[in-house]
Amino acid sequence: MRRTALRVVVFLGLLTSASSQVSYQRVLDAAREPQNWLTYSGRYAGWRYSGLDQINAASASRLAMQWVFQVGDLGSFETSPIVVDGVLYGTGQNDRAFALDARTGRAIWRYQRNLPDKIQPCCGMVNRGFAILGDRLFMATLDAHVIALDTKTGNVVWDVTAADYRQGYTFTVAPLAVKNQVIVGASGGEYGIRGFVDAYDAATGQRTWRFETVPGPGQPGHETWAGDSWKTGGAPAWLTGTYDPELDLIFWPTGNPSPVNYGGDRHGDNLYSDCMLALDADTGELKWYFQFTPHDVHDYDSTEIPVLIDADWAGQPRKLLIQANRNGFLYVLDRTNGKFLSAKAYGPVTWAKAIGPDGKPVINAAAVPSATGTQVCPGASGLTNWFSPSYDPGTKLLYVATSTECDIFTEAAQSYRAGHDFIGSVVVPDPIVRPSGALKALDPLTGAEKWEFKYFSSPHGGGLSTAGDVVFAGDSDGNFIALHARTGQELWHVQLGAAIYSTAVSYQVDGKQYVVIPAGSALFAFAVF
Amino acid sequence: MEESDAFETKGNVHLRLLGGDLRKVTRFVLLVLAALLAAEFLQVLSAQEKVVTNPVAGNSAAIKEGASLFRANCSPCHGLNATGGGRGPDLSANRWTHGATDTDIFRTITQGVPGTEMPANGFEDSEVWAIVAYLRSFAPPKEIVSGDIAKGEKSFSSKGCPRCHMIKGRGGLLGPDLSRVGASRSAAYLMDSIRDPSKDLSDGMLDPNNQWGLPLVYDTVTVVTTSGQKIKGVAKNEDTFSVQLLDTDQNLQFFAKKDLRQVIHERKSLMPAYSEQVLSADALRDLVAYLQSLRGD
Repeated sequence: MRRTALRVVVFLGLLTSASSQVSYQRVLDAAREPQNWLTYSGRYAGWRYSGLDQINAASASRLAMQWVFQVGDLGSFETSPIVVDGVLYGTGQNDRAFALDARTGRAIWRYQRNLPDKIQPCCGMVNRGFAILGDRLFMATLDAHVIALDTKTGNVVWDVTAADYRQGYTFTVAPLAVKNQVIVGASGGEYGIRGFVDAYDAATGQRTWRFETVPGPGQPGHETWAGDSWKTGGAPAWLTGTYDPELDLIFWPTGNPSPVNYGGDRHGDNLYSDCMLALDADTGELKWYFQFTPHDVHDYDSTEIPVLIDADWAGQPRKLLIQANRNGFLYVLDRTNGKFLSAKAYGPVTWAKAIGPDGKPVINAAAVPSATGTQVCPGASGLTNWFSPSYDPGTKLLYVATSTECDIFTEAAQSYRAGHDFIGSVVVPDPIVRPSGALKALDPLTGAEKWEFKYFSSPHGGGLSTAGDVVFAGDSDGNFIALHARTGQELWHVQLGAAIYSTAVSYQVDGKQYVVIPAGSALFAFAVF
Repeated sequence: MEESDAFETKGNVHLRLLGGDLRKVTRFVLLVLAALLAAEFLQVLSAQEKVVTNPVAGNSAAIKEGASLFRANCSPCHGLNATGGGRGPDLSANRWTHGATDTDIFRTITQGVPGTEMPANGFEDSEVWAIVAYLRSFAPPKEIVSGDIAKGEKSFSSKGCPRCHMIKGRGGLLGPDLSRVGASRSAAYLMDSIRDPSKDLSDGMLDPNNQWGLPLVYDTVTVVTTSGQKIKGVAKNEDTFSVQLLDTDQNLQFFAKKDLRQVIHERKSLMPAYSEQVLSADALRDLVAYLQSLRGD
């Protein structure tokens, strides 16, 4: 074990003249080192795109397994690893974590958090990955702590409590490191928490700011909550945001108001649930917001990754923010000011008739939860969900995994009890049509569909695009699939034996490009010969 | 939602020890011991499970809370109004397979039922009692199917049911095994399933590695090969690239989708509908009475 670690250190010394420390400048310039994968989405703009092209449309059929790493735990494996100079860092179920020799899959260290009994994650004991800065990895834990681990040993450097897990707060998010800060967002929208986005000093763990996603008395937006409903308003922030260094803005999306599927006790728009927040990176001050789904009763978390693209809009170059929202619409916003530019449905949508010119939905009154049950599309898990979209600057296409699921929403009121689930209605899949899904290639500006690759089941894995014109995707029936980025034609696939709940990343070591994907309890690495 | 499986029951542990010891003693000692220990067990039971009645029985607030908890947690299997769903039995008919007292129902909810799909549940005690109060709030079922079980068993055979359905190891493979269908389906559901089999397709295998996934159902699937040959059956499994079929001759056939022209999901049952011309109202009642008698014991 020690010898392996030493070798890795020596190897790192040979590989790069720069220190193996990951400076903020390196993360900013992540696109310049495509051999590495330095943030959750690969780079601050949220593209989940690799500049590597050894695996390409011609070579992909020769993809072969290189190694498998077994985490040794059950549940959905949702990590998106960080890779730096030949070392891969990942997190696993039940807040496990590990560092691997990225060529062989052999572990350098393992970490397992000692979790208390009464953790209440809505949707499994999952974690989505690390952030890295300097010689530290940052992890947000299921018991609502933020911790820093040493990159070489996995030792805990600091550990701070962000919130009380007994009240239903958890973390599943992969943090985002910006400058000298670590940004995280709370989970717990199913337990009536009051959501927040937090920043911590990377060196000390001291909290530098908190933005509460449900405004308290006297704060703007408080009036969008009836009575005391704000106290248990939810609006979690459970997926990783993106960052624009020029504007110095963090774009952090938020989730559903609580109770999730019953709005009778929380009349109003329920700000800042289902919003895109633009926060000042240094202070957490709200610069603008845009609410996608006011007064949500369908669990349409707007937590999906905000993708930052600079493109011409109506003949003018513009800084855009694109989001394939769980509510079924693909939104284009001006990210300098949050101005709504367009929204187009990218699958079956019945809850809203359209999105008006002001960006607000035209609600379909016939598609709200009812006492006898109402069929609504998309269903509660959305047209898409946590698994990442991908933007390929070569094809200029956005790849989004989508589900055809529609659900029956049956209304039921529910009163709040601390630490208990706070859902409010019953949601079951439409019994008539078995939901399926697809990976869709969309024009991010118009929403026009260029191609789709159909899945048998609703997917829970996203897309990774690469400079080799290959898009990697995973389906819920265990297939890891390589598709031609321009046509959607299948180039290769392999059956991994368990549903894929995450999205691939790619890196290069010793001149070989790898692509890794979690499935079941294992991380699988592939390359071409 | 995660569920706790750590639930201790000293009464059951006691019983299991008793079972182990019994094998080592003579029949005489056995009887004496059993009598003594049974008495002790009853004492333990009364100490352990003293609360044999629901503290919130008939309480309207508890019934309301129980209804809400039931909808959120139990209805996906037991149906929205507890009248039985795809996987769980009808709980509104005052027929209890795993014990009819409040304490029995409490235990069934918290510990689950080994060997069935009923899981242990991590509710607080007060929540369990609320659910029990809700389950006790139903009016007695209006109609109890009374039929001739022996006649029903006869028509089960004469109408060709065993060709596809297995009961206690005998019968066909194409449709669901009916060995304990009486414990898991209401009479109304069984009648529907005979008159209109496609109304609700039963679940097949659920993939344990796909926690958000839906089970396949007993759906009629027809594959069309590139040469135009059609093969019909029930899909035992299927994914983006392949399909595993049990065909109507009850043979397993596996296909790669790239070798197929088409995979047609008819979203209807392979079972023929037994209309009144084929099965009279009286014969239906007899058949359902027979099916209701199949409780896995």
